[in-house]
Amino acid sequence: MSNLIIETHNLDFSFKEFKALSQVNLQVPEGSIFGFLGPNGAGKTTTIRILLDLFHAKPGEIKLFGKSYEENRKEILQKVGALIENPSIYKHLTGRQNLEVIRRMVDVPKARVEEVLKIVRLVDNADKKAKNYSLGMCQRLGLAAALLTDPDLLILDEPTNGLDPSGIIEMRELIIRLNKEHGKTIFLSSHILTEIEKLATDVAIIDHGQIMYQGKLEGLHSSELLELKIELNQVDAAANILKGLNYTISEQNGRSISLPIETKVEVAKINKALVDADIEVYGLKTSAETLESIFLNITKKLDQ
Amino acid sequence: MNTVIALKRGISAEIFKFRSTFVFWLILLAPAFIPTINLIVFLRRGEAILARSGTAWGNLMQFSNGPSNFLFPFFVFIVALYVNNIEWSSNTWKLIYTQPLHRLNIFFSKLLVFFGMLFFSLMLYGALIIAVGKIVNLANPTLGFGESFDFVILFGRCFRMFLATLGFASIQFYISQRSKNLILPLGIGIGGIISFMIVVQGWEYAAYHPYGYHILAGGLYEGARTILLENMQPIYLSLGLMIVMVGIGAYDALRKRII
Repeated sequence: MSNLIIETHNLDFSFKEFKALSQVNLQVPEGSIFGFLGPNGAGKTTTIRILLDLFHAKPGEIKLFGKSYEENRKEILQKVGALIENPSIYKHLTGRQNLEVIRRMVDVPKARVEEVLKIVRLVDNADKKAKNYSLGMCQRLGLAAALLTDPDLLILDEPTNGLDPSGIIEMRELIIRLNKEHGKTIFLSSHILTEIEKLATDVAIIDHGQIMYQGKLEGLHSSELLELKIELNQVDAAANILKGLNYTISEQNGRSISLPIETKVEVAKINKALVDADIEVYGLKTSAETLESIFLNITKKLDQ
Repeated sequence: MNTVIALKRGISAEIFKFRSTFVFWLILLAPAFIPTINLIVFLRRGEAILARSGTAWGNLMQFSNGPSNFLFPFFVFIVALYVNNIEWSSNTWKLIYTQPLHRLNIFFSKLLVFFGMLFFSLMLYGALIIAVGKIVNLANPTLGFGESFDFVILFGRCFRMFLATLGFASIQFYISQRSKNLILPLGIGIGGIISFMIVVQGWEYAAYHPYGYHILAGGLYEGARTILLENMQPIYLSLGLMIVMVGIGAYDALRKRII
């Protein structure tokens, strides 16, 4: 097993009465792109803030690079670059000046500013005021700031949030390049399943502050889940019946319903339940399950 | 030694981020406000003012002292607000607190830059008062600004004002750092000034009101240099309050959850 860059041990965290994280055990291998997946409010950003010591964990609950924050805060943060939610940028400064602020704090050579500008492809716009940047440029500038110390680990919280399709593709390519060419371990949170599917080598799924799955991305697909698509006439009534049978609807439109199932035996059971309720079923089709339906099956969020 | 180097780095970054901002111009231009008015007053009405009583420099000091006692706290409120609001409005608290620096380093870098701005502005204010006297003397040598005047007392008074301000400045800094709200620190500051103006009319404990130390530490700009070391109670109270507030702020910086 490769070295673990991030380890959490039974991590608990509360906001007053609200328990945000419960017994979270994460193991992020060195060199991976680790997708941290979960619906909004599941605990992703809280976990990330704890990993960056913005929220303090209890002693022994987290280790980065095998070390704890209590004794090694500076040493750990020297090896971590972070991009958390919305860009943190001084809008009145240019892109280059923003990096200069951070450069002065972390004490790296001036030449490093040019290097990171090149990595994120912002050289041409480096002297523009950041208030004139697009969101994609802001995210890339944030990433450039995270790269200044040449960190071994990048923690990126929803890095494609709010970006247009070309911005998403650019960010995705950048993340892959940083992992493959620069050897960075990347911890990436997202609620966009397709993003994780395209990027991650390893994933963890979190919901209601608990880890529901953790392992290789392929491990998720290897489960024998199927997706059933039913064409019928009364979609809403059918959806209610299926929810009553404790199924999770992954997709629903005017003519059909999709849901994850575990075995083909369930197809007959579902069909009978619908026909018994006088719903006309025009077609039943099973296919290998998408990550989306796996995710929904695990988190059971959509129909709650 | 490492702490000093890290603090220097933090301060350097803090100063850099204020370039081309409102606060940069504020600390340069605000100290010129009262001297500019006094320059106009003494150029146009200098003879009438000096006909009443006192020396030229003594009159200029008096004309500067009153307005600055009233206006300087507002300058402190705005600077305290701005040095912290730059992080709130840019969403950058999380950016600076994830840098490989001790949390206290980040806190003290900002605090020292804030205090430095107040110190710089007060010293600039002192220099501009001297410049007013010199310019008026060039324009009208008969007014008496050519007479000798101990500038050490002037700058010493500015320094006393700086020390007597640190108490309530620390309160303003703490509130502005805790709260994203712009109105709250201003409201507390203005409330502090007004309440001092009320209690100073006769309440026996008015001398302990933190928003009045700078006024109580002032006085006439005359006499020997020894007066700089008299009436030290407001200054000691201010420094004591500063230590308490900075302690609370530093403890808070270590413990708080950064959003």
